[in-house]
Amino acid sequence: MASLSYDEGAHLLRRAGFGGAPEEIDDLSARGREGAVDFLINFNQIDNSAMETLLATSFDFSNFADNTKFNQNEIRRWWFTRMTATKRQFEEKLTLFWHNHFATSLSKVQDTFMYTQNVLLRNNGLGKFDDLLLKVSQDAAMLIWLDNITNVLGKPNENFGRELQELFTMGIKDVVTDEQNYTEQDVKEVARAFTGWNYRRQSPFVFQLNASQHDNGSKSIYTGTPWAQTGNLSGEDVITMISARPATARYLTWKLFNFFVYPVTTSSADKATIDKFAKVYLNNNHSIKELVRAIFTSDEFFSERAFFSLVKQPVELTVGAIRMLGGTYNQGTNARGSNTLSQLSRNMGQDLFAPPDVAGWDPNLAWVNTASMLERFNFANTYLTNRNTTNPGIFVTNDQLKSITKASSKKTVKKFLSRLGPLSVGDALGTLRTYLETGDNGQPVTYVNDDPTVDKKIRGLVHQIMCLPEFQLN
Amino acid sequence: MAINRRQFIKRSAGAVSVSLIMPRFWMGGVAQGQEIAADPNRKIFVVIQLGGGNDGLNTVVPYTDSRYQTLRPTIGFKDTELKDETGASTILGNTSFGFNPAMGELKSLYDAGKVGVVLGVSYANPNLSHFFATDIWSTANTTGAGNGWLGRYADQKLLGKSGLSAVSIGSSLPKALYADKIVVPNITPAGGADPFVNYAFQTDARNIGDKNNQLNTFKANNTRSFPTGSFGAALAEAGFGAEEGAAQLRTAVQGYTPGATYPTNNQPSATAVSFASALKMVAEIITTIPDANLLYVQLGGFDHHSQEIGTAADNFRDKTKGQHATLLKALSLGVKTFYDDLTAHGIADNVVMMTWSEFGPSPIESENM
Repeated sequence: MASLSYDEGAHLLRRAGFGGAPEEIDDLSARGREGAVDFLINFNQIDNSAMETLLATSFDFSNFADNTKFNQNEIRRWWFTRMTATKRQFEEKLTLFWHNHFATSLSKVQDTFMYTQNVLLRNNGLGKFDDLLLKVSQDAAMLIWLDNITNVLGKPNENFGRELQELFTMGIKDVVTDEQNYTEQDVKEVARAFTGWNYRRQSPFVFQLNASQHDNGSKSIYTGTPWAQTGNLSGEDVITMISARPATARYLTWKLFNFFVYPVTTSSADKATIDKFAKVYLNNNHSIKELVRAIFTSDEFFSERAFFSLVKQPVELTVGAIRMLGGTYNQGTNARGSNTLSQLSRNMGQDLFAPPDVAGWDPNLAWVNTASMLERFNFANTYLTNRNTTNPGIFVTNDQLKSITKASSKKTVKKFLSRLGPLSVGDALGTLRTYLETGDNGQPVTYVNDDPTVDKKIRGLVHQIMCLPEFQLN
Repeated sequence: MAINRRQFIKRSAGAVSVSLIMPRFWMGGVAQGQEIAADPNRKIFVVIQLGGGNDGLNTVVPYTDSRYQTLRPTIGFKDTELKDETGASTILGNTSFGFNPAMGELKSLYDAGKVGVVLGVSYANPNLSHFFATDIWSTANTTGAGNGWLGRYADQKLLGKSGLSAVSIGSSLPKALYADKIVVPNITPAGGADPFVNYAFQTDARNIGDKNNQLNTFKANNTRSFPTGSFGAALAEAGFGAEEGAAQLRTAVQGYTPGATYPTNNQPSATAVSFASALKMVAEIITTIPDANLLYVQLGGFDHHSQEIGTAADNFRDKTKGQHATLLKALSLGVKTFYDDLTAHGIADNVVMMTWSEFGPSPIESENM
């Protein structure tokens, strides 16, 4: 079994989750590489009762029709509460991955169905991909989002048939072979297979096939390829066939790598890497769990290239800042809740439950512009300067900050850099140390980790660390 | 809604890759903190979005149309009712239209030849989802897909200009300004004496004495060198540019002196004050920053449904009161004050303003009650 250093454990927890306190990272490291990954991905075995209790006392989703208790803001507050409070970090991160993959938005889909879809993604995110894809495709949110409810015999709507192939499974071009995976004719034929797919218009809003609207004629798909099929294909048939295509295995692997490991290039070496892991999917009955396990335990995942190679998504930035520092998101209650995390993440460009379009959020440099950077810096300031520890909101206490300080300025800076990464920041180390040793008039002062210094300069120090380019990276 | 032809859709939310274009903030070529001289060739465009679906038929009232009177027995205006609060008629010359009585200020601008009304602007089969209809108008595309129409202009014409050549004032960047190559900054008004105060690299309000230390540390850390083309380099450049650009804007607008008296103290309404203050921010920007020529302001709340007219006190019958009247008064007073301010600064004739809304409610009053 491969060992797992502290830095590797922190890297694994930041990627498979949102990062954590030193005790969590030590615990992972003690398990070794495979043991730590097993622990994270077998999250159903982790006791999460504290979060469940918190959710039960903070939310009331018992009646979706009561929009004072169940609405767009409440489901965002609910998800951020989960992400900051869960012991099963990978469960929430994986749900975020699937939300981005099957990107569906409140701009068209009502809150009830967005919430139901989120629960579906969470409960089915690690099984056989065919099953997840079928469930998502038959769920009201997707049926509405991509207009399949208007996809009927004689008047097909191709939106779902197109995105199913382009964004959810194979991509237009195979990410390894560069071959075209399907044609416009295939889009039309696949759309016919999904005609009549709809949902019940009263509770429970489950899938129903409107038989009279379903096209029972013969469809021919992928003609002239090894995957050619002709016959009265149903939507289920198409999903099963697409899920088995190597192109799907490669595309999913490529998406997982870009989200969890590093930005994948079109080099032949990277294509070989993608192909290697795609075989794990194909050889394990399309198991997402086995694919994820292989990726997280791989040398690629722990390569130098992977460390801090991604720009943090806003949700990773905000939730990570809470979890790594030992801060608090007091989500409050329905009557008096805090929407701070969802609002600040939205300001940075990531509005949960409302991705910009069906392709999801673009990664990395797409997050970086002058407007969004100002929001990132001011998020850190809001978090670090909130001394109100009773009202709903985000904060970190002086006691918590003081527990991280050391007697010397240099060790204190290093401790916080370790806590928030661990980050390697070159010359900024000296600049941050100088900050700790500078008084209001710019004069040198001697650093002591007493209470006034903690409340002033340590809060300032952490704000400054969170404004470093290095802290924006994951 | 990115559904029909997703492959043509680019990114939204102002999230433009820094590798494509780094907004060049206005860098002190003009003395900071001073109003700029009038330039007869300058062209400024100010867009006001009336969010929520403004009731067009009760804004520009077709009072002679019998169908209007038939369909709107309760909320419709008779010719005798088209008078502003001073008693002056709001009927537009000898036309068969009149402004809502709340719009006396706009009527005076109309009489001066400064306001035009374009009727019947729409597209086939209007979509009545607020979101989707807003997307359609914002993109000038009946699928609602793609970048904003102003964003597309910005991509073509504002590249290489200052990062403040287009500015939005509001809670978030409107879709009309979504672009590929330009990041249009959105400034959220802070309320209070300095509405620009939030548009800054913020530091601990409890330790103002430490602010310079914070800024110096921030600047030193974000001007370090990173490998060319690395994410670190892009993050440092955008981060430093964000702080500097915001600081320059705030310095510039300090040179502004108002040329008109903007409403205060919740008079005539809190809505009127906040909308007028947003227009005042626009005035501050265009009078002090030479190439700030595309501005965008939002006035929301038009989805008032059953609250269109009246208050509880009048059993919702008084057409000169209620949500719609409050909003139109805010619009009318805000625009007039802004116009007077621009006139005092000698640039009123350089400015074109337009309003738009995603749709108007049904002509039949029972359907929007």
